[in-house]
Amino acid sequence: MKDNPVLEINEVTKLFGGLAALKDVSLSVYPGEIKAIIGPNGAGKTTLFDVLTGIYRPSSGSVFFRKKDIIGLRPDQITCMGIIRTFQTIRLFEGMTVLENTMVGCQCRTGSGFFANGIRSRKARNEEKQIQQEALEVLKSVGLETRAYETGTSLPYGQQRMLELTRALASRPEILLLDEPAAGLNPYETNELSQFLFGLRERGLTLLVVEHDMGLVMDISDEIVVLDYGEVIARGEPETVQNDPRVIEAYLGVEVEDNA
Amino acid sequence: MPGPTVSYRNLLVVAAFIFLLPIWARLVPGSALHFDIVNLMVLAGIYAFAVIGLNLLVGYAGQVSLGHAAFFGIGAYTTAILCTRFAWFPTWLGVLFGALLAGVAGLLIGIPVLRLKGNYLAIATLAFGEISYIFFRQSGITGGTVGITRIPPFSMFGFSFDSDLRFFFLVWICVMVLMLLTINIIQSRVGRALRALHSSEVAADAMGVNTGRYKTKAFVLSAVFAGLGGALFAHFQRYINPESFMLTISILFLTMVVIGGMGNIWGALVGAISLTFLPEVIRALPQWIPGLPEGLANFNNYVLVLYGLLLMVFMIFMPQGMTVGLARGVSYGEMQAKRLKDRIRARKFSRGE
Repeated sequence: MKDNPVLEINEVTKLFGGLAALKDVSLSVYPGEIKAIIGPNGAGKTTLFDVLTGIYRPSSGSVFFRKKDIIGLRPDQITCMGIIRTFQTIRLFEGMTVLENTMVGCQCRTGSGFFANGIRSRKARNEEKQIQQEALEVLKSVGLETRAYETGTSLPYGQQRMLELTRALASRPEILLLDEPAAGLNPYETNELSQFLFGLRERGLTLLVVEHDMGLVMDISDEIVVLDYGEVIARGEPETVQNDPRVIEAYLGVEVEDNA
Repeated sequence: MPGPTVSYRNLLVVAAFIFLLPIWARLVPGSALHFDIVNLMVLAGIYAFAVIGLNLLVGYAGQVSLGHAAFFGIGAYTTAILCTRFAWFPTWLGVLFGALLAGVAGLLIGIPVLRLKGNYLAIATLAFGEISYIFFRQSGITGGTVGITRIPPFSMFGFSFDSDLRFFFLVWICVMVLMLLTINIIQSRVGRALRALHSSEVAADAMGVNTGRYKTKAFVLSAVFAGLGGALFAHFQRYINPESFMLTISILFLTMVVIGGMGNIWGALVGAISLTFLPEVIRALPQWIPGLPEGLANFNNYVLVLYGLLLMVFMIFMPQGMTVGLARGVSYGEMQAKRLKDRIRARKFSRGE
């Protein structure tokens, strides 16, 4: 499995004023793996995602995606290269239907502009028809097709989370960055989610997941990276990390001692 | 899904209604109304150019502009200057140049200004509007406070649009074409991108929407629409002065967008028509209803008070604008009527009838 990494993060540091939100973080993500990033609140997990997706520029360090440096690229450029993310708090587009939300995810694969769409050129119409069909197919694969014409924000919470994931999938990414995908889900929905994530890996996707739900993390990840105060304090397979004394001290605490 | 076909059908109905208006207007004696429907409709149509573009920018993309009177003015002055300085200059080309120059100005202003958000964007565009107004008033080429007179009537292919009725058809055919373009844009990937960045720029970015470029393009397009309107305005009025491109007009455009309905395709038309007619109706009131204070005829001095009041009332009670508000009102009325009918029926039933 350890061939070339798809995503290579080398000694990334991000300073906010004097505070280091990330300190020399290095990690490699290999094709087809599910990697989880865990750590207490404020450990820098979301900041790392923001650096990877171009929202923040790191103070130092480099990030390579398929051997290409992506530091300094705009968020939309990074997305169109094949790295897409979801958000910790749901950010569906207000007033847009489930289908329209999903179709925004196809933005990268379409190119017709104001004029072509204004006069409904043949190219624009074909594009529209094609991505509508593709979006419906993606919705079907997650079981949201019956809701296609409802407003996205009117769905129940669990389905809104699912829609955010669907919207990201519609862009056909190589790497999916999920920021707390299980937040607010009930145990049944969390279980469904983990099945779904396994399914994605089977389809060849690589997943980088920030998550607080330890059950889910232990269940799905091939490797876990633990962040604390912006530094990587442990990494390895779930069992190894689970028993690492530093991790227990920093994060897992009493609960895991009980389990162990 | 309310696909394009539904909107096209609506557009046909609206177009039929508007183009038949001159005939209906004949049925009402002008002296009874105290204003000229066709003349006002031309003005409403001209304003609609700017309002359609501004609705795309404010209502769909969520970027507020308080300076669109400037683009309206750039369009008007460009064609006015060209067609009065050079007698041979074709008016249609002047109008085209006006729209083009407004677009260029929109691009140059849009690129720096659209980095700002919310109130800051509104203030920056307001400043641009004021600077343009002062330029129109002070510069020699624009004729200072006097402005430019004797602008030739619009003509094309040897046909001169020199009467209100001819201009009415010219303007409203153009409005319908702009509406068609806008409907198409809104229901495409571009429209979705604009609405997405309105809702959350961060999320739109993350979905691969180049938010900066989309905002700039929407800004330029709205400037072109406003410039086109302004250029036709110059050829319709036949004279222009800086007063037609003041802050008041920028606020008027924005009020038209809001009361028509932000992010509602038809809102632009409803807003432009109703707010063009409203002051005239108020002014005519003393003649219709004896006993009302004659002072209403000098209503123009208080027109800003009216816009302010309307903005407040609509933001509180009908934030989605008149178009949606009216539709809601109608369905509420229907519901109440049905409830009343049910109650009467129930009473009859309980009496054993």
